[in-house]
Amino acid sequence: MALQVNVKDILSQLYHNRGVVEFLFANRENITVNELLAREDISQEQYQKLRSLDLLYEYESIVSLNDAVVAMFEDFMEIGEVTPGFINDYINELKRHIRFYQEVHEHRFLRSVKKYLKRINVALSREIIKLQKNVDDTYKNESNYRIKLQKLEDYREKRDTIIDFIKKTEEVIEETRGLFALTNDTELYGIVNSLKSNLIENLDFLIEIQTDITDYINKIQFQLDVYVKVQRLKEIKDHGALHFRTNFVETIKALTPLRFNGIKGPRTKIAVDYLATDEGFVLCQRIAQKYKISRLMARGIAGKLPSDFKDKLIDNQIKMDTEKLVDRFLAQNKLNLFEFLIQYKFPKAVGDIRLNDRMSLFVEIAMEYEKTLDFKYRLNYFDYEEDESKKQKRLGYTVILPTTDGKKKEKKAAA
Amino acid sequence: MEELQGLDLNLPKQTHDIFAIMARGHFISSNGSKDNMGRLYDIINNPENYDRLQAYFNVIRYNIERGNNYFYFAKVGEANSIIEKKLETFERYIDIIDLFASMDNKITIGSRFRPGEISEECNANVRLKQKLQKIPMYRSETMVNKVRDICDLMARDSFLELEDEQSESYKVLDAYTYLMDIINAIAIYEETGSSDESKGSGLILN
Repeated sequence: MALQVNVKDILSQLYHNRGVVEFLFANRENITVNELLAREDISQEQYQKLRSLDLLYEYESIVSLNDAVVAMFEDFMEIGEVTPGFINDYINELKRHIRFYQEVHEHRFLRSVKKYLKRINVALSREIIKLQKNVDDTYKNESNYRIKLQKLEDYREKRDTIIDFIKKTEEVIEETRGLFALTNDTELYGIVNSLKSNLIENLDFLIEIQTDITDYINKIQFQLDVYVKVQRLKEIKDHGALHFRTNFVETIKALTPLRFNGIKGPRTKIAVDYLATDEGFVLCQRIAQKYKISRLMARGIAGKLPSDFKDKLIDNQIKMDTEKLVDRFLAQNKLNLFEFLIQYKFPKAVGDIRLNDRMSLFVEIAMEYEKTLDFKYRLNYFDYEEDESKKQKRLGYTVILPTTDGKKKEKKAAA
Repeated sequence: MEELQGLDLNLPKQTHDIFAIMARGHFISSNGSKDNMGRLYDIINNPENYDRLQAYFNVIRYNIERGNNYFYFAKVGEANSIIEKKLETFERYIDIIDLFASMDNKITIGSRFRPGEISEECNANVRLKQKLQKIPMYRSETMVNKVRDICDLMARDSFLELEDEQSESYKVLDAYTYLMDIINAIAIYEETGSSDESKGSGLILN
């Protein structure tokens, strides 16, 4: 290591840059320096600091985490490549410490013995789990078949290595049984017992893995055989003899999957009511577009209701009233249109009708019912008090009368 | 369906999804990822579920068929009506798989590839190029489009899955084994073979 380091430094650096560490761990193989520095959570300075602590390496501008860090994470997560070799080291260390203990029955050696027994136990299980994951992953996801076969063969070897280690460990335990019994150490007794049962379990597991590997290899082999055969079939087919020199026709005739027998999914009729819904309409429209049927495209979905639709409703009501209003006006003959409107008692439901409203009604009716009204081209005047200022005002209006039976009426434009 | 479930058939709640996929004639592969396919596979693969589903679908004359890591529906007691089409389909599959088999980078279960990779390899190799050109696909002008059409066809038959639309990356599903099984099942009669063309007497090359 380049610098003197301590646990605290490393931990705090890792923690401080945990985002970066996580990112690099997830993308172990292909992050360049520039990509890394483009991240917001690391500056040039921090990067240099991490490098000086050897937590990051840079090689040909590809950044990678320190292998020790990666290995630590992988160990915890039980992923990564299967590397059973170090179990051998543990076994040798175990043997060495047992020898020491045989010479001098000192507690410190016993402690090391326990430590290595535990390590072997954990490491074996972990490697086997990794082996299982890797075998599965290789079969399912390795795309190159030659590499796939090679990898599976490698895993087979690794499996054998692990079995060797299990046997070795069993031997060591067997040989030192007397010695362990002598120690009268209950903790050691527990460790050895759990190791023993785990060894048996692991062996079973490995046999299963072996079956898997063999199975996978066979499947790949089968596929390769089929590929050879398909080339042969193709050759026959190119000679036009496929139907005669093979039982192709019989074989294919006998196939049952729905897809190749022209059986479409079950068809159910669509409920007519559904077609009347908005969803159904969208469906109809799509079909109409596909087959260019304009008839089906006619009906549109109603637009969104405006938020002030209630106010509009009242407007409409007043408008609706005008017709009746005009009828009533025509039915009388005492008043001209302006007087009629000013005095008319509107129903309560319409709300408060003010002078201004009445004047606009007047204008509206005068314009819309021009033909049925008799316009007298003279002015009358109307006096009123303005709402806010209380000022007296005078309004001139044209006299408009109903046309029927020579009635008159007047009207006037507002001042 | 609600009512039948009320009869306590104890069907898995994914029954509807399973039916929706398989009734379209699709395969459910263990390594498929679209539509939660891997999960559906596990559900059918559970022996208890399998029996229940089988009994349930048999009522409407669908039969679940099991292959190596895949399932599909067959219709019980239905006459094959479109034999011509079927033969055509599989003759084309022989062409396609022959192409795959002749490539350096062989396509196997779990392989991932892009149509571009295949067309490039075909471009570089006259033999492959000819093979590709002779596969009958309509309206494919360029090589890469032709490969695309082939992939599309196979994805529709649920042998492949378009894993990433952006990069056009396809994955080979377990159902591909079905094609392998069929090819394996076809017997080739020896040239010198007797007049008896039955399966038993023909020598089967494997």
